[in-house]
Amino acid sequence: MIRTFFCTSAIALGLGSVASAQVVLDVVAWKGNEAEPAGLPELIEKFEAANPDIDVELTYVARKDVDKVIPPRLQSGNPPDVTMVDSSLVDLWGGAGFLADLGIDSDWYARMQPSVSKVMTRDGGIMVFPLEVIGMGNFVNMDLLAKVGIEKAPVTIDELKAACTALAAEGISPMIFAGGFPAMLYVGANGIDLNGVSPAEYGSGDLKFVDDDNFNGSLDSVRDLVASDCFDPKLQAGLDPWATAPEEFRAGRVAILPQGAWNIGSFSSIDGLNYQFAPMPSRFTDVGLALDLVGPGWAIPKDAANKDAAQKWIEFFADEENLNVFLEAEGAYSPFVGGKSTMPDLAATYTQARADGSLILWPFSTLEFPKPLQSEWEDSITGFLLDIDQPNEKTLQRWDDIIEDNM
Amino acid sequence: MSSTLDTATPVAQAAPDWDLIRRRTKSVLVHGFILTLVAIMLLPLFYMVMMSFKTATEISQNPLGLPSSLYWGNYMAALSSMGYVRSVLNSLGITVSVILVVVLTGAMAAYPLARLNNRISRVIVMVMALGLATPNFVTITPIYVIFRDLGLLDSYLGIVLAFAALKLPLAVFFYTGFIAAIPIELEEAARLDNCNNWQIFWHVIRPLLAPVTATLSLFVMLMVWNDFTYPLLLLTDKDKLTVMIAVYKFVGNTGIDPTKLFPAAVLGSLPLLILFAVFQRRIMSGATAGAVK
Amino acid sequence: MRARNSLYIFTIPALVVLILFFVHPIILTFNMSLTSFKGIGEATDVGWSNYERIFTRERYLREVWVTLWFTVIVVTSLTITGLFFAAMLHRLPLIRNFARAALYTPAMMSFVVVGYVWQFLYSPINGGINVALRDLGLGAWEQNWLGDPSLALYSVAFAQIWMFTGFTCAIFLAGFAGIPEEIGEAGRLEGASSWQRFRYLELPLLGPSITVSVVLTTIGTLKTFELPFILTKGGPDGATRMLSIEIIDNLFGQYKFGFASALSIIMLIIVLAVAFLQNRVLRNRENVT
Repeated sequence: MIRTFFCTSAIALGLGSVASAQVVLDVVAWKGNEAEPAGLPELIEKFEAANPDIDVELTYVARKDVDKVIPPRLQSGNPPDVTMVDSSLVDLWGGAGFLADLGIDSDWYARMQPSVSKVMTRDGGIMVFPLEVIGMGNFVNMDLLAKVGIEKAPVTIDELKAACTALAAEGISPMIFAGGFPAMLYVGANGIDLNGVSPAEYGSGDLKFVDDDNFNGSLDSVRDLVASDCFDPKLQAGLDPWATAPEEFRAGRVAILPQGAWNIGSFSSIDGLNYQFAPMPSRFTDVGLALDLVGPGWAIPKDAANKDAAQKWIEFFADEENLNVFLEAEGAYSPFVGGKSTMPDLAATYTQARADGSLILWPFSTLEFPKPLQSEWEDSITGFLLDIDQPNEKTLQRWDDIIEDNM
Repeated sequence: MSSTLDTATPVAQAAPDWDLIRRRTKSVLVHGFILTLVAIMLLPLFYMVMMSFKTATEISQNPLGLPSSLYWGNYMAALSSMGYVRSVLNSLGITVSVILVVVLTGAMAAYPLARLNNRISRVIVMVMALGLATPNFVTITPIYVIFRDLGLLDSYLGIVLAFAALKLPLAVFFYTGFIAAIPIELEEAARLDNCNNWQIFWHVIRPLLAPVTATLSLFVMLMVWNDFTYPLLLLTDKDKLTVMIAVYKFVGNTGIDPTKLFPAAVLGSLPLLILFAVFQRRIMSGATAGAVK
Repeated sequence: MRARNSLYIFTIPALVVLILFFVHPIILTFNMSLTSFKGIGEATDVGWSNYERIFTRERYLREVWVTLWFTVIVVTSLTITGLFFAAMLHRLPLIRNFARAALYTPAMMSFVVVGYVWQFLYSPINGGINVALRDLGLGAWEQNWLGDPSLALYSVAFAQIWMFTGFTCAIFLAGFAGIPEEIGEAGRLEGASSWQRFRYLELPLLGPSITVSVVLTTIGTLKTFELPFILTKGGPDGATRMLSIEIIDNLFGQYKFGFASALSIIMLIIVLAVAFLQNRVLRNRENVT
């Protein structure tokens, strides 16, 4: 009896250990679902084909919910094997010691663009494998511009003002400038001199916004746009930048929309919408300023159960061919040096501006501007639009107050 | 109008019965008025269903109009990636279980609180109120830790317990209010017949709570069905996921795509609507009968 | 009174649950509120400075005011609309079930969807409401529903009322169901009009349901977060920023768990205070009639 028992358990254990060679890789990401596939479904298939002993389980958790749902798992020692992170999560979770160092001696680290690796490296280690750098600029409806005789997307402020005046005269709504995001892009592009001081100096409180020529000039420039009939500031204040504004652009009811390149997928799905993605007109450059958002990446929690499989997952994405599937679906640029661009032709002006060096990394994504400042920008710029003739310092002082609070 | 009472002579009946006509017209008008109000209330939802049948291009060009044809493509796409049947069954099972637990425990707890008015019961009521007043996110991490320690993660039992616990204060509050309205004579009569506490509760009090139970069940059903934070937190097995988690897959991070989300949302809420319609008719008819007695 | 005291056993399951799921987390939250915890990792003690900050900054006091005022508007309206529909439907048995289900459907949809639909309806340029007004020739009444600071709170309140009228109506209908038929009959025989029957016969007997409805909707509205957040995110420039939005923003936007916990405790105290006050007033009113 006992012998049979031991025999059976030995066999079972033996079988069990063969069966346990099948690893289940638990991946959490805020992409890869129906709404934002980002090429992940097909990449997962490819990965599983190349690694038959690994089964990938991708759980979609929206970025807002990641804050709620993942920290309990990290803290109780039961984290996913791979989790998507962005710079603020790296700061928070990495700073608390929950992410593993992926090693700066790896092959892909050396290939990172210097600006990106500078942002992502901390304390001599790197805890995130960056997946993308995504552009933010102006979406321009070329058909509407053609109606007023303009053939080229405006990339300087004068071109922009001229386009606005012409469009408004024809009764076409020229531009969306919602305070919650589009306005921020313009204000940032005209307040940060790409050849001047680094945004980090404002973020650390060394420089004050209130006395700053650049940001004062930026707000003045907004008034110029209003004077050229680009938009009605009071109306723009209540406009939702994430669902309503892109919908207006898709419907062809507005000519210019500052937004992020992640909209390219949904804009291209509309038949008959002839548009381009152009860099943001800025006072500091003649070819428009490319605003690059440092996007999310993969991280391996320190307590992950399947670290080897997780490493393989990261190596898989370090392969340019695989990464390009992701980048093309996302409408983003590679964070690594070299490699061909997967961006469509309609983004040619933006890609060109990048190539010409007319580009800054969006300071909220690099944490040069602290996170609390982002919601303050949203609120205060909306407030500015509601009362556009108020003195600049009312708005700028709020930014300085937040920076001070944050220290 | 006493002439209407005189139905003996056929001649009198030939004259139109204005009183009846007036009452009928008034009835029709009132019914119509309320129905119109209800229809107006439903306009936004009607709009949502309309949008789920349009293509993306149609939505952009003609947001308010009726769809040119019922485009089922969105629904096909949604169904094929939702694991619909399984997730609906999960949601149903979890919701019904939670309702049963909450109704029973809540009514039981409310009974002494409604009848006895001393310091102990007042303290308990205060704790109950605390439960109602707590903001939602306060409980997330503690529940996760407790469940992990009890081994209840990723289990049906765990999620049912979690939901039941969260809705319990609501049930107690509901029942305390309504039990207080039940005349004490009924209980005293039963006590004279030598019934113990449990018998009184089960045979006298419980049936009279039918309308309240029905209403409470509908509320709990709604809250549990639509919640996706707790299933997201506590369930990881793909086969255990609820239908709202499946709908959640269609939500993006920046803005939403109505052609993807709305069909999924309609599909997600459809079982709830059907449950509601069926449930309501049965329980409500039973409820009114019980109350009259 | 042994039978009476043994009644307490009935409350034990509920009590256990409450202590585990509510009392314990609240104690944890209070402890967190005395620190500058970031949600993960170590927590450093900062004493009462979080609370100090709340009481000395205009921003947070304004949010308390916005929250309270919003709640007053929503609860009052919900009670009126709920009573109206319930009273009418009580007299119209033919359409009662259908109408109740119909009124309930807004609450059955998920917040994300409802928020999106209302955002579209309220959109200033080509939103459903403004376009409809234009088509009806009432173009002069077009407004910037969510973007005008003086209007935004009421627009959000309207959407909230739309969503939850079914709730209060259902509660009141349950209350009506508990009113014996004979009372209505007696009233009709006495020649009382519909309104008189409602005012003098039914309303007093609805005491318990009014209490339940008012207290529940108050607590729910004080805590409400999803719909206002999706519609305005607290904008424009803080005109609709309620305590709940501020808490979530600090919790998950800025990772200031310690401060958010302090705000949560303050919110908890406000909710409890309001609930108790209401309960006392309403229960007394119930007993008097």
